[in-house]
Parts: sequence; C-alpha cells; structure tokens
Amino acid sequence: MATITIPTALRQYADGSASVALEADTVGALLRGLVEQHPTLGKHLFSEQGKLRSFVNIYVGDEDIRYLEGEETPVAGGDVVSIIPAIAGGMYV
Amino acid sequence: MGAHKGHPYMLTLSADAAETIARHAEATYPDECVGLLLGGLDGDVKTVVRALAVENRWAGQVSLADTDNAESRRDRFYLDPRDYLRADREARAAGMDIVGCYHSHPDDPATPSERDRVGAQGVGGGTGFAFVIQSVRDGRAAEVASWLLVAEGARFEQEELALV
Ligand SMILES: [Zn+2]
Repeated sequence: MATITIPTALRQYADGSASVALEADTVGALLRGLVEQHPTLGKHLFSEQGKLRSFVNIYVGDEDIRYLEGEETPVAGGDVVSIIPAIAGGMYV
Repeated sequence: MGAHKGHPYMLTLSADAAETIARHAEATYPDECVGLLLGGLDGDVKTVVRALAVENRWAGQVSLADTDNAESRRDRFYLDPRDYLRADREARAAGMDIVGCYHSHPDDPATPSERDRVGAQGVGGGTGFAFVIQSVRDGRAAEVASWLLVAEGARFEQEELALV
C-alpha cells in the first residue's frame, strides 16, 4: 500500500480525508484509484482530456513526478505520494 | 476593516502570525512576498497559529498571461510546491494543517487581482482555505484582508478577519 496525501482545500472532495492508502503499481494508477473512491476529486486533478492539471503537482517522496516517469512512475509499498498545489499570482495580468 | 459579506466564514490570525506577515511584506518591499498559514479548521472558522514565510520563487514557472516577465517579483509571486510540501510536513508534525496562504500587494489595495484568481486554481477553493493579502504602502504594512475562492474558482469573496 502507498499513501497519498491530500492538500487541505481538496479534502472537501475526499470526505475530509487528509490521506488515503491504496494498492497501486504506478502514480497514475494510484491517482485513478483515488478518483474512483472520490469521484468529485477528478475534475480538480485532471483536465477533460484526462491529463494532470498544470497547477497540480505530484511528488513521490521529495521528487516531482515530472522529473521521474510522470504517471508511469512506479510506487512501492510505504511510499508517500503527495498532491501539492502550486500557488501563483501577482497584481497585474 | 473591509466590507464583509455577512457569510459566517472567518479567519482568526494570532498576533504572532499577523506580525510575521506584516514584517515579511515590509522586508521584501517593493517585491511581493508569499507564505503559508498554519493552524486549524473548526467549522466555519479557520484559526491561524503561525505564518510561515516562504521565498517568492517567481521566475516564469507558470504561464498565467502573455505578458509574463520572469524578472519581476515586484508584481508576481510563485509559491514553489517543494516549499508547500515542506510546510505541509511541518504542519502535520505539529498537529496542524495549512489553512491558507498570504502574499503582499506593494502600494496596492489588499484586493485580489485576476492574476491571483487564475494562479489560485490549483488550490481547489472553498471555504477551508484562505487567501490573505497584506497591503504595503511606502514600505510600511497597511491593511490586511482575507479572501475565499468561491463559485468553482470563478471569483474571490472577502471573509471576516479577526486578530486575536
Ligand atoms: Zn495579489
């Protein structure tokens, strides 16, 4: 089982859970397993085309999956996978 | 301070957190500063125990507009996910949660911009996460306000902010 942590503001779509433990071989399978349990999380994580949204970052331990194998990144039992929002802004468009 | 809309949501800031935000905003002036708010959520009330200053790592990482200038932190901020991850671990270890973030508006009101709205979409919005804006004028901390991202991320709504 790997553990996936859910950031504060997304917990409202996951019955308030701060983390969920799931059996999966890859990050992609883990995320899809999570969305299966909590369908309303889906549109916050994935675009209509099924791609991970650009403002959603997924880390396995301390590593961004963009620098690993993306959704194909393998996960092992005991891994902690974190969903991390990027926050940006500024005064002018 | 500020026109609060009558909904029950509210953010309380500890004196220590308010001080951290104000001093951080003054220290980075005229650049924008950014940080995270650690505390707890109890029903409609978010309690901020500690404000954690984070480095503004804006360098054009995300494309929010065609006019993006990777050089300017004066009117741009970016909160690196690695800093969020570190803060989240720190919060959990202390039995707290990240209940919001803050940034400053140098010589500008504490009102979110369209760019702030676009850049907030990754958070998920709702009433459990506050966007605090600290205004700084001529290098001195001025008004501070708390906002919620509502209507599926379509707009910000001001919430009551209390200093405790
Ligand atoms: Zn702003």
